[in-house]
Amino acid sequence: MGKSLMIVDDSATMRKIIMRTVRMSGLEFERTEEAGSGVEALEKLKAGPIDVVLCDINMPEMNGTEMVKQARQLPNCSGTKIIMVSTESAQELIDRVIADGADGYITKPFTLEKFQEKLAPLLN
Amino acid sequence: MITTVSLKDVLLDSTKEVFETMVFMAVEESLQDGTSLDAPALLATITFKGRLEGCLGICCGQTCASAVAASMLGMASGEELGANDVSDAIGEIANMLLGAVKSRIQNEVGNIEVSIPSVVEGRELRSSLGEGSSQVRIRVSIEEEHIAELSLLYREGCNH
Ligand SMILES: [Mg+2]
Repeated sequence: MGKSLMIVDDSATMRKIIMRTVRMSGLEFERTEEAGSGVEALEKLKAGPIDVVLCDINMPEMNGTEMVKQARQLPNCSGTKIIMVSTESAQELIDRVIADGADGYITKPFTLEKFQEKLAPLLN
Repeated sequence: MITTVSLKDVLLDSTKEVFETMVFMAVEESLQDGTSLDAPALLATITFKGRLEGCLGICCGQTCASAVAASMLGMASGEELGANDVSDAIGEIANMLLGAVKSRIQNEVGNIEVSIPSVVEGRELRSSLGEGSSQVRIRVSIEEEHIAELSLLYREGCNH
């Protein structure tokens, strides 16, 4: 069965850029969803399992770090790979969000190569 | 501590990085003064606080903003983009610019907390920082066709 992807970012432009980068990376998903905030993302995760979530951190209405913590409480989300995609680059914050349950971290701005390098190993 | 001179380089390097990797447009510092931005202009700002606090702004004309948004989205022209699409794109550029600036200075100033970007029609970055604040400003040419102004208004934070 094909995999599903959700892109979470408060900027619609960034959601499109990430979607395009995913496609250019040669990664294929059968179903893709978008959410503009942590709250919306959690609702979608509650509705059914999603294989991969690419999640922003700085967002109004629940930021990405809080979203990860709450997502990890959901029975639906035990197998979900969550990769943060954020302009935040402080190592302390990266370590904390990984400890809270994120599986990977990509900093913005990013290149296609960086995206592939971080994402591909998680999808095999 | 951070000096105005080094912050100017940081701002220019960050702008080049964001435009090259996420907008796919070439940016160079523009030393010509006087060329005015086409009106009405759009101004995207994002504030930050920590040991350094202040506001980063990017301002450019509507034509420039549409071209930038279209390029980010991989579209040939900005004609089909609505005002919301354009302001969202410019706001996200401000967000990434501050992220790029932050990653270059966080060893010296520690972590800074950033706001959500806001975009308005207008020109001037209003200074509410008052005494002890400094400002770095640069003008850049984008693809040798458009002009944008960047500014970083800052001071040492009070609570740190
Ligand atoms: Mg954001």
